[in-house]
Amino acid sequence: MKINQLYILGVFALIFGGMQGQESLLSKLEKEQEIPSYEVLETFKGTYLSIGHSVETQKKGILEVSSMNRFWNKPIETSQSFVADKWNARVGLSYAFTDRFTFGAGYGTGYKSVDAYAKYRLFIQQNNGRKSPLSVTLLQTAVHRDKSKYDGGGPLDFSEKIAFTTQVLIARKITPNFSLQIAPTYIYRGEESLIPNESLNRYAVGFGGRYRIGGHVSVVSEYYYVFNEVDFMETYGPFSLGVNWELSDLLLQFKLTNARHFTEDKFIAKTANNFNTRDGNFHFGFHATYVIHFKKR
Amino acid sequence: MNKKVLLIILLAAYSGLSQEASEMIDRQGSINFFSYTSVENIKAKNNQVFSNINAVTGEIAVSILMRAFVFEKALMEEHFNESYIESDLYPRAKFEGEILDFNPSMTGRETKKIRGVFTLHGREKEIEFKAAVEKKKNKYIVSGDLELTVKDYDIKIPPILSPNIAETITADFNFEYVPYEN
Repeated sequence: MKINQLYILGVFALIFGGMQGQESLLSKLEKEQEIPSYEVLETFKGTYLSIGHSVETQKKGILEVSSMNRFWNKPIETSQSFVADKWNARVGLSYAFTDRFTFGAGYGTGYKSVDAYAKYRLFIQQNNGRKSPLSVTLLQTAVHRDKSKYDGGGPLDFSEKIAFTTQVLIARKITPNFSLQIAPTYIYRGEESLIPNESLNRYAVGFGGRYRIGGHVSVVSEYYYVFNEVDFMETYGPFSLGVNWELSDLLLQFKLTNARHFTEDKFIAKTANNFNTRDGNFHFGFHATYVIHFKKR
Repeated sequence: MNKKVLLIILLAAYSGLSQEASEMIDRQGSINFFSYTSVENIKAKNNQVFSNINAVTGEIAVSILMRAFVFEKALMEEHFNESYIESDLYPRAKFEGEILDFNPSMTGRETKKIRGVFTLHGREKEIEFKAAVEKKKNKYIVSGDLELTVKDYDIKIPPILSPNIAETITADFNFEYVPYEN
């Protein structure tokens, strides 16, 4: 009886021993090769979400050349213009000095504005673990506009021609297809000193999101809420609904918006028309961004 | 009678051990892949591929982390992971198969066929390819190349970009297996 029990034990041991050896090679490999925590890629497709900046910057050694355009009609029924009455554009260059730091500059047709910005990625979201659940990017911009006094009394002083925007861009890629961004914003506009008793400071918050509908196409939307709007004119929060389409080194961004300006201080604080489809309010936007790699790995 | 039982237990323990001992691993295997078209050439390399073999049966397995592929252009790497391979959803590619007619007592270098199931982008496909199998002291070296058809793995290329990416991707691999330590 005792021997029989030992016998059974032995058979069990044989089976068990055999089973241990039979753990598949692949499952052994997968157990050993853990998937490390990586920096999340492409929270948004572009360094611009739609009308404003996104948390994204390019990798070191990449030059971005961008052309931004807005088209809209004058609110006159008798307009004879082809396609659109009005056009506003900005051409920009930006260079990524490191994976985290980008410097950019641009020229805009409205008031011959020259703008520059510095963008720094403070935190980059990691795809697993709790190391960094969010991406945080700091943005500082400066603009100079060649403007004259409202009453035609010659050019503005330098201090009145400049404006600054500071943003903390906070974003999370919630699923592979869905990302959200919140952007607390501070704006300084020297031009507002022309209006008696008007504050030069504006505080705003931006909300943005993207939903990827295909490998290369995503739908994006953005809205800015201004806490202390200017008193001397009616302004509206800029809103945008658009599509981003990535084609290898080229990113095309199409949008419907009420914002006709490109620099943050202006379109966030001074968008003078609401978002609807009436002529004069409806703006079609088209951005093309081409990427050139100066550093190959 | 007792001795017989003891023998069985010993045999059982040994059978487990011996299988363990015949398994060998490479944790720094390399896989490169190439896509050549008239529009653009794409190259990527990965030197962190895990692979193991059973040097008795000729069974072989490979586990490849998609994010470990390094491309010449940073943007290509992003697009590979985000738009084509979807590495968030399918972080690894796997191969499970065997070296056909594997001779455990081989010496020197032999050309063998390897057959098995390759899983890429979550899609399985049975593949067969040739490889050089070499025995060097207590090492096995397996190397070669194969062609993969992009369509087989449900990797979507928009028509406008199809001239940029080859329909068949050439991949080469090199593994040097050493016995599992301990």
